[in-house]
Amino acid sequence: MIPEYSLGLLVAFAATGIAFYALMRETDGLHRLLLTDLIEVASLAFIALIGTDLAEALILPGLVVGASELIALSEIYRVKEGYTRPPDAGLRIEVMESAPAILAALLVVYGIVLSGFSGGAVAGLGVIFYFLCCGHAERFALLETASGYSWVLWIVAFFIFMILPQYWFFAVMLSGSAILVKVMAKMSLIGTMRGGPNA
Amino acid sequence: MNAVFALGLAILVVGVLSVAFVRPKTYIARLINLEIPGWGLLLIMLAYDEALALLTFVAVTAIGTFVIVRLMEWRDASC
Repeated sequence: MIPEYSLGLLVAFAATGIAFYALMRETDGLHRLLLTDLIEVASLAFIALIGTDLAEALILPGLVVGASELIALSEIYRVKEGYTRPPDAGLRIEVMESAPAILAALLVVYGIVLSGFSGGAVAGLGVIFYFLCCGHAERFALLETASGYSWVLWIVAFFIFMILPQYWFFAVMLSGSAILVKVMAKMSLIGTMRGGPNA
Repeated sequence: MNAVFALGLAILVVGVLSVAFVRPKTYIARLINLEIPGWGLLLIMLAYDEALALLTFVAVTAIGTFVIVRLMEWRDASC
């Protein structure tokens, strides 16, 4: 009987090999971008196989870097291929008029209950969804200000941990809500990527 | 061996094959098939109780799909 970890490692190697082989054979740019995404999934399986807190600590930054890399590569590809004309208004169906406010509110409230990094991600998704469906008269300056103040609060919370450790609960709450606002503000910027003068 | 883990490994391999050798070879078919290995990875993470990584993977996959669909929209508008 092969041990579980070795079997998983074998399968992950096979999957990554197949993905790289397909990438080698591919010539079209957008197909290669999609295959890069596939390789990311197959390689994350390696890290997931470690199966401890270390795996989570390694997967989180990997995912964040992967997302930003995908965004940057797609922008480079778009400019390189000369796709300069913005798309039309897109999908106009009834559910996109009525649902966003409710769904976004639910996601944001749930994110605030979760708090911390994952709470920020959930609330950020709600804001992304809202911006995507309901246009974006966004005010980047306001988002950046909120993001900056929450960063300061995060640092203050760390100083409380070091200087006044008896108030640790207050510091936990402070840093949890600050990182929530920070991640949410950054993620909501993605929801505004629809073309237009800033895109 | 854990059933969830075995299922995850199987779906991962099947999904990678289905994305690598996709028929018909269109962008949208490949993008949809990309969800299958994602499911395999999610099951592997589930077998090891990596809840935080799992949640973040779901969120990042949603963003990635959105970014690629947006690229396809720009491509259709310009061609």
